[in-house]
Amino acid sequence: VIVARVLRGDVEVFRVLVERYRDRYARYAIHMLGNREDAEEALQDAFTRAYRSLARCEDPERFGAWLFRILINRCRTMGARRGRRARTFVVDEGALLEAAVEHPADRGAWREEIDRALDRLRPEQREAFLLKYVEELGYDEMSRLTGVGVSALKMRVMRACDRLRELLSEVQSA
Amino acid sequence: VPDENEVNMSRIARELQKPVRLDSSFDSRVMGAVRKLPKHSRFGLWSRLTTPRSVMVSPLSWGLAAAAVAVFAVMGTVNLAGDVSRTAAPLFSSSAKAQPQRVQFVLVAPDAKKVAVVGDFNGWDASHAAYQAQHRGGGVWSVTAPVPLGHHRYSFVVDDSLWMPDPTAPRATDNDFGVANSAIVVSNQE
Repeated sequence: VIVARVLRGDVEVFRVLVERYRDRYARYAIHMLGNREDAEEALQDAFTRAYRSLARCEDPERFGAWLFRILINRCRTMGARRGRRARTFVVDEGALLEAAVEHPADRGAWREEIDRALDRLRPEQREAFLLKYVEELGYDEMSRLTGVGVSALKMRVMRACDRLRELLSEVQSA
Repeated sequence: VPDENEVNMSRIARELQKPVRLDSSFDSRVMGAVRKLPKHSRFGLWSRLTTPRSVMVSPLSWGLAAAAVAVFAVMGTVNLAGDVSRTAAPLFSSSAKAQPQRVQFVLVAPDAKKVAVVGDFNGWDASHAAYQAQHRGGGVWSVTAPVPLGHHRYSFVVDDSLWMPDPTAPRATDNDFGVANSAIVVSNQE
Protein backbone atom coordinates (compact mmCIF):
# COMPACT_ATOMS: atom_id res chain seq x y z
CA VAL A 1 0.00 0.00 0.00
CA ILE A 2 2.81 2.39 0.90
CA VAL A 3 4.72 1.64 -2.26
CA ALA A 4 1.56 2.13 -4.30
CA ARG A 5 0.92 5.50 -2.68
CA VAL A 6 4.45 6.68 -3.42
CA LEU A 7 4.03 5.56 -7.01
CA ARG A 8 0.86 7.63 -7.23
CA GLY A 9 2.92 10.68 -6.34
CA ASP A 10 2.66 10.85 -2.54
CA VAL A 11 6.34 11.48 -1.86
CA GLU A 12 5.99 12.09 1.87
CA VAL A 13 4.74 8.55 2.51
CA PHE A 14 8.20 7.31 1.54
CA ARG A 15 9.30 8.44 5.00
CA VAL A 16 7.38 5.49 6.46
CA LEU A 17 9.63 3.12 4.55
CA VAL A 18 12.72 5.02 5.66
CA GLU A 19 11.70 4.77 9.32
CA ARG A 20 10.81 1.11 8.99
CA TYR A 21 14.09 -0.11 7.51
CA ARG A 22 16.56 2.56 8.61
CA ASP A 23 17.98 1.08 11.79
CA ARG A 24 18.19 -2.57 10.80
CA TYR A 25 19.92 -1.84 7.54
CA ALA A 26 22.15 0.78 9.14
CA ARG A 27 23.46 -1.98 11.38
CA TYR A 28 24.43 -4.09 8.39
CA ALA A 29 26.09 -1.15 6.62
CA ILE A 30 28.06 -0.13 9.69
CA HIS A 31 29.36 -3.67 10.20
CA MET A 32 30.13 -3.99 6.52
CA LEU A 33 31.85 -0.64 6.00
CA GLY A 34 33.30 -0.23 9.46
CA ASN A 35 32.17 3.29 10.20
CA ARG A 36 28.95 5.17 10.63
CA GLU A 37 29.68 7.96 8.17
CA ASP A 38 30.14 5.68 5.17
CA ALA A 39 27.27 3.49 6.33
CA GLU A 40 24.83 6.40 6.45
CA GLU A 41 25.96 7.53 3.02
CA ALA A 42 25.48 4.05 1.57
CA LEU A 43 22.07 3.72 3.19
CA GLN A 44 20.92 7.14 2.03
CA ASP A 45 22.10 6.28 -1.46
CA ALA A 46 20.19 2.99 -1.32
CA PHE A 47 16.98 4.74 -0.26
CA THR A 48 17.18 7.36 -3.00
CA ARG A 49 17.95 4.74 -5.63
CA ALA A 50 15.06 2.66 -4.38
CA TYR A 51 12.76 5.67 -4.68
CA ARG A 52 13.93 6.41 -8.20
CA SER A 53 13.42 2.82 -9.31
CA LEU A 54 10.31 2.10 -7.31
CA ALA A 55 8.23 1.50 -10.42
CA ARG A 56 10.37 -1.55 -11.08
CA CYS A 57 10.01 -3.08 -7.64
CA GLU A 58 8.32 -6.20 -8.96
CA ASP A 59 6.95 -7.33 -5.61
CA PRO A 60 6.06 -4.35 -3.38
CA GLU A 61 5.33 -6.80 -0.54
CA ARG A 62 9.04 -7.57 -0.50
CA PHE A 63 10.22 -3.97 -0.71
CA GLY A 64 12.49 -4.57 2.29
CA ALA A 65 14.36 -7.40 0.62
CA TRP A 66 14.62 -5.41 -2.58
CA LEU A 67 16.02 -2.42 -0.69
CA PHE A 68 18.44 -4.66 1.17
CA ARG A 69 19.77 -5.98 -2.08
CA ILE A 70 20.40 -2.44 -3.30
CA LEU A 71 22.18 -1.65 -0.03
CA ILE A 72 24.37 -4.76 -0.22
CA ASN A 73 25.58 -3.65 -3.60
CA ARG A 74 26.08 -0.07 -2.51
CA CYS A 75 28.24 -1.35 0.33
CA ARG A 76 30.24 -3.46 -2.10
CA THR A 77 30.78 -0.51 -4.39
CA MET A 78 31.63 1.91 -1.61
CA GLY A 79 33.89 -0.58 0.12
CA ALA A 80 35.78 -1.27 -3.06
CA ARG A 81 36.11 2.42 -3.90
CA ARG A 82 37.23 3.76 -0.58
CA GLY A 83 38.70 0.91 1.32
CA ARG A 84 37.78 0.79 4.94
CA ARG A 85 38.26 3.84 7.05
CA ALA A 86 39.13 3.64 10.67
CA ARG A 87 36.46 1.60 12.38
CA THR A 88 34.34 3.51 14.80
CA PHE A 89 32.78 1.35 17.40
CA VAL A 90 29.09 1.30 17.99
CA VAL A 91 28.29 0.29 21.50
CA ASP A 92 24.77 0.29 22.85
CA GLU A 93 25.22 1.49 26.40
CA GLY A 94 21.74 0.42 27.46
CA ALA A 95 22.28 -3.13 26.33
CA LEU A 96 25.61 -3.19 28.10
CA LEU A 97 24.06 -2.24 31.39
CA GLU A 98 21.22 -4.73 31.06
CA ALA A 99 23.53 -7.62 30.41
CA ALA A 100 25.78 -7.19 33.40
CA VAL A 101 27.26 -10.68 33.24
CA GLU A 102 30.69 -9.24 32.85
CA HIS A 103 32.13 -5.93 33.76
CA PRO A 104 31.00 -3.38 31.17
CA ALA A 105 34.58 -2.46 30.47
CA ASP A 106 35.37 -6.08 29.62
CA ARG A 107 32.36 -6.26 27.36
CA GLY A 108 33.38 -3.09 25.59
CA ALA A 109 36.84 -4.51 25.00
CA TRP A 110 35.35 -7.76 23.70
CA ARG A 111 33.20 -5.79 21.27
CA GLU A 112 36.21 -3.88 20.08
CA GLU A 113 38.02 -7.13 19.41
CA ILE A 114 35.05 -8.44 17.42
CA ASP A 115 34.96 -5.29 15.34
CA ARG A 116 38.69 -5.49 14.77
CA ALA A 117 38.47 -9.12 13.70
CA LEU A 118 35.53 -8.36 11.43
CA ASP A 119 37.57 -5.62 9.87
CA ARG A 120 40.28 -8.13 8.98
CA LEU A 121 38.00 -10.46 7.07
CA ARG A 122 37.92 -10.30 3.30
CA PRO A 123 34.88 -8.24 2.22
CA GLU A 124 33.08 -11.17 0.62
CA GLN A 125 33.61 -13.26 3.76
CA ARG A 126 32.44 -10.44 6.00
CA GLU A 127 29.35 -9.98 3.85
CA ALA A 128 28.48 -13.69 3.97
CA PHE A 129 29.11 -13.92 7.72
CA LEU A 130 26.94 -10.91 8.49
CA LEU A 131 24.08 -12.13 6.36
CA LYS A 132 24.17 -15.60 7.87
CA TYR A 133 24.91 -14.97 11.54
CA VAL A 134 23.79 -11.42 12.19
CA GLU A 135 20.89 -11.06 9.79
CA GLU A 136 20.10 -14.77 10.24
CA LEU A 137 19.19 -15.37 6.63
CA GLY A 138 18.99 -18.75 4.96
CA TYR A 139 21.40 -19.58 2.18
CA ASP A 140 18.72 -19.41 -0.50
CA GLU A 141 17.76 -15.90 0.52
CA MET A 142 21.43 -14.93 0.76
CA SER A 143 21.94 -16.22 -2.76
CA ARG A 144 19.02 -14.19 -4.07
CA LEU A 145 20.34 -11.07 -2.38
CA THR A 146 23.96 -11.39 -3.38
CA GLY A 147 23.80 -13.19 -6.72
CA VAL A 148 26.34 -15.67 -5.38
CA GLY A 149 25.70 -19.40 -5.43
CA VAL A 150 24.81 -21.28 -2.27
CA SER A 151 27.92 -23.45 -2.25
CA ALA A 152 30.19 -20.42 -2.64
CA LEU A 153 28.34 -18.67 0.17
CA LYS A 154 28.72 -21.66 2.48
CA MET A 155 32.43 -21.70 1.77
CA ARG A 156 32.70 -17.97 2.54
CA VAL A 157 30.82 -18.34 5.81
CA MET A 158 32.96 -21.28 6.84
CA ARG A 159 36.17 -19.40 6.09
CA ALA A 160 34.90 -16.32 7.87
CA CYS A 161 34.12 -18.38 10.98
CA ASP A 162 37.52 -20.06 10.87
CA ARG A 163 39.25 -16.71 10.58
CA LEU A 164 37.20 -15.13 13.36
CA ARG A 165 37.95 -18.07 15.66
CA GLU A 166 41.60 -17.76 14.87
CA LEU A 167 41.71 -14.00 15.49
CA LEU A 168 39.54 -13.99 18.59
CA SER A 169 40.96 -17.07 20.27
CA GLU A 170 44.29 -15.26 20.38
CA VAL A 171 42.55 -12.49 22.28
CA GLN A 172 40.76 -14.85 24.64
CA SER A 173 43.86 -16.80 25.52
CA ALA A 174 45.94 -13.62 25.98
CA VAL B 1 32.63 -31.20 25.53
CA PRO B 2 33.25 -27.84 23.91
CA ASP B 3 36.53 -26.20 24.61
CA GLU B 4 35.78 -23.27 26.89
CA ASN B 5 38.32 -21.24 24.97
CA GLU B 6 36.69 -21.94 21.66
CA VAL B 7 35.19 -18.82 20.21
CA ASN B 8 31.44 -19.12 20.05
CA MET B 9 29.95 -17.76 16.84
CA SER B 10 26.57 -17.25 18.50
CA ARG B 11 28.17 -15.04 21.11
CA ILE B 12 29.76 -12.94 18.38
CA ALA B 13 26.48 -12.75 16.52
CA ARG B 14 24.61 -11.62 19.63
CA GLU B 15 27.11 -8.84 20.09
CA LEU B 16 26.74 -7.72 16.50
CA GLN B 17 22.95 -7.98 16.60
CA LYS B 18 22.68 -5.22 19.14
CA PRO B 19 20.50 -2.50 17.72
CA VAL B 20 21.85 0.52 15.95
CA ARG B 21 19.78 3.65 15.97
CA LEU B 22 20.01 6.51 13.53
CA ASP B 23 18.41 9.78 14.53
CA SER B 24 15.66 11.55 12.66
CA SER B 25 18.14 13.81 10.88
CA PHE B 26 18.90 10.81 8.70
CA ASP B 27 15.24 10.62 7.66
CA SER B 28 15.29 14.31 6.87
CA ARG B 29 18.36 13.95 4.69
CA VAL B 30 16.82 11.06 2.76
CA MET B 31 13.53 12.85 2.32
CA GLY B 32 15.35 16.00 1.23
CA ALA B 33 17.15 14.02 -1.45
CA VAL B 34 13.97 12.25 -2.50
CA ARG B 35 11.99 15.48 -2.82
CA LYS B 36 14.53 16.74 -5.33
CA LEU B 37 13.74 13.79 -7.58
CA PRO B 38 10.77 13.84 -9.94
CA LYS B 39 7.54 12.67 -8.38
CA HIS B 40 6.25 9.33 -9.45
CA SER B 41 3.17 9.39 -11.57
CA ARG B 42 1.59 6.43 -13.27
CA PHE B 43 1.43 8.21 -16.59
CA GLY B 44 4.13 10.79 -16.14
CA LEU B 45 7.41 11.28 -17.90
CA TRP B 46 9.30 9.77 -14.97
CA SER B 47 7.39 6.50 -15.25
CA ARG B 48 7.90 6.38 -18.98
CA LEU B 49 11.62 6.93 -18.56
CA THR B 50 12.03 4.32 -15.87
CA THR B 51 9.74 1.63 -17.23
CA PRO B 52 11.36 -1.00 -19.45
CA ARG B 53 10.31 -0.71 -23.04
CA SER B 54 9.41 -3.59 -25.28
CA VAL B 55 11.63 -4.25 -28.26
CA MET B 56 10.14 -6.67 -30.72
CA VAL B 57 12.64 -8.87 -32.49
CA SER B 58 11.43 -10.15 -35.82
CA PRO B 59 13.03 -13.00 -37.78
CA LEU B 60 14.30 -10.43 -40.26
CA SER B 61 16.18 -8.64 -37.53
CA TRP B 62 17.92 -11.80 -36.37
CA GLY B 63 20.33 -11.49 -39.23
CA LEU B 64 21.03 -7.89 -38.28
CA ALA B 65 21.50 -8.91 -34.67
CA ALA B 66 23.89 -11.65 -35.68
CA ALA B 67 25.84 -9.18 -37.80
CA ALA B 68 25.98 -6.79 -34.85
CA VAL B 69 27.30 -9.59 -32.67
CA ALA B 70 30.07 -10.28 -35.15
CA VAL B 71 31.01 -6.60 -35.33
CA PHE B 72 31.01 -6.19 -31.57
CA ALA B 73 32.94 -9.40 -31.11
CA VAL B 74 35.72 -8.12 -33.33
CA MET B 75 35.68 -4.65 -31.80
CA GLY B 76 35.64 -6.05 -28.32
CA THR B 77 38.54 -8.35 -28.94
CA VAL B 78 40.60 -5.59 -30.51
CA ASN B 79 39.77 -2.80 -28.10
CA LEU B 80 39.70 -4.65 -24.86
CA ALA B 81 42.46 -7.19 -25.32
CA GLY B 82 44.56 -7.64 -22.25
CA ASP B 83 41.79 -6.77 -19.92
CA VAL B 84 38.76 -8.78 -19.07
CA SER B 85 37.08 -7.83 -22.27
CA ARG B 86 33.58 -8.78 -22.91
CA THR B 87 31.39 -8.99 -25.88
CA ALA B 88 28.02 -10.50 -25.97
CA ALA B 89 24.61 -10.24 -27.41
CA PRO B 90 21.55 -12.36 -27.09
CA LEU B 91 20.58 -14.24 -30.18
CA PHE B 92 16.96 -15.09 -30.42
CA SER B 93 15.56 -18.21 -31.87
CA SER B 94 12.02 -19.23 -32.31
CA SER B 95 10.22 -21.92 -30.46
CA ALA B 96 6.66 -22.80 -29.69
CA LYS B 97 4.46 -19.90 -28.71
CA ALA B 98 4.51 -19.03 -24.97
CA GLN B 99 7.48 -21.28 -24.39
CA PRO B 100 10.71 -19.88 -22.97
CA GLN B 101 13.03 -18.88 -25.75
CA ARG B 102 16.52 -20.22 -26.16
CA VAL B 103 18.88 -17.28 -25.81
CA GLN B 104 22.58 -17.40 -26.49
CA PHE B 105 24.78 -15.30 -24.25
CA VAL B 106 28.33 -14.66 -25.36
CA LEU B 107 31.16 -13.03 -23.47
CA VAL B 108 34.77 -12.50 -24.42
CA ALA B 109 36.79 -12.82 -21.25
CA PRO B 110 40.28 -14.19 -21.98
CA ASP B 111 41.38 -14.22 -18.35
CA ALA B 112 38.24 -15.73 -16.89
CA LYS B 113 38.20 -19.14 -15.30
CA LYS B 114 34.44 -19.26 -14.96
CA VAL B 115 31.58 -17.32 -16.49
CA ALA B 116 27.92 -17.53 -15.58
CA VAL B 117 24.82 -15.61 -16.53
CA VAL B 118 22.60 -14.27 -13.79
CA GLY B 119 19.30 -12.51 -14.19
CA ASP B 120 15.83 -12.20 -12.87
CA PHE B 121 15.00 -15.32 -14.91
CA ASN B 122 17.23 -17.52 -12.73
CA GLY B 123 16.92 -15.76 -9.41
CA TRP B 124 20.33 -14.09 -9.91
CA ASP B 125 21.86 -17.42 -9.04
CA ALA B 126 25.39 -17.64 -10.36
CA SER B 127 25.52 -21.34 -9.55
CA HIS B 128 22.48 -22.26 -11.66
CA ALA B 129 23.63 -25.20 -13.78
CA ALA B 130 21.76 -24.19 -16.92
CA TYR B 131 23.44 -20.78 -17.09
CA GLN B 132 27.08 -21.75 -16.80
CA ALA B 133 28.97 -20.60 -19.89
CA GLN B 134 31.46 -22.90 -21.58
CA HIS B 135 34.80 -21.74 -22.89
CA ARG B 136 34.71 -22.03 -26.69
CA GLY B 137 38.33 -21.09 -27.21
CA GLY B 138 40.03 -17.76 -27.76
CA GLY B 139 38.57 -16.32 -24.59
CA VAL B 140 35.03 -16.67 -25.90
CA TRP B 141 32.48 -18.00 -23.44
CA SER B 142 28.93 -18.83 -24.35
CA VAL B 143 25.83 -20.53 -23.10
CA THR B 144 22.44 -21.03 -24.66
CA ALA B 145 19.76 -21.13 -22.03
CA PRO B 146 16.00 -20.75 -21.73
CA VAL B 147 14.60 -17.33 -20.91
CA PRO B 148 10.88 -16.79 -20.40
CA LEU B 149 9.01 -14.31 -22.54
CA GLY B 150 9.04 -10.76 -21.29
CA HIS B 151 11.36 -8.09 -20.01
CA HIS B 152 14.42 -9.20 -18.12
CA ARG B 153 17.58 -7.83 -16.58
CA TYR B 154 20.75 -9.84 -16.51
CA SER B 155 24.48 -9.68 -16.11
CA PHE B 156 27.55 -11.84 -16.40
CA VAL B 157 29.41 -13.05 -13.33
CA VAL B 158 33.07 -13.81 -13.92
CA ASP B 159 34.95 -16.04 -11.50
CA ASP B 160 32.08 -15.87 -9.01
CA SER B 161 32.89 -12.31 -8.10
CA LEU B 162 33.06 -9.82 -10.95
CA TRP B 163 29.72 -8.62 -12.26
CA MET B 164 29.67 -7.09 -15.69
CA PRO B 165 26.86 -6.02 -17.97
CA ASP B 166 26.64 -7.19 -21.53
CA PRO B 167 28.26 -4.40 -23.58
CA THR B 168 26.34 -5.26 -26.71
CA ALA B 169 22.93 -5.27 -25.11
CA PRO B 170 20.94 -2.26 -23.93
CA ARG B 171 21.61 -1.24 -20.37
CA ALA B 172 18.85 -1.56 -17.88
CA THR B 173 17.63 1.90 -17.00
CA ASP B 174 19.27 1.82 -13.62
CA ASN B 175 22.26 0.41 -11.85
CA ASP B 176 20.57 0.24 -8.51
CA PHE B 177 22.21 -2.96 -7.52
CA GLY B 178 25.65 -1.42 -7.52
CA VAL B 179 26.50 -2.66 -10.96
CA ALA B 180 24.85 -1.91 -14.24
CA ASN B 181 22.66 -4.63 -15.64
CA SER B 182 21.71 -5.36 -19.20
CA ALA B 183 18.18 -5.41 -20.49
CA ILE B 184 16.63 -8.03 -22.69
CA VAL B 185 13.16 -8.46 -24.08
CA VAL B 186 12.18 -11.91 -25.19
CA SER B 187 9.07 -12.10 -27.29
CA ASN B 188 7.28 -14.61 -29.46
CA GLN B 189 7.97 -14.54 -33.14
CA GLU B 190 5.32 -15.23 -35.69
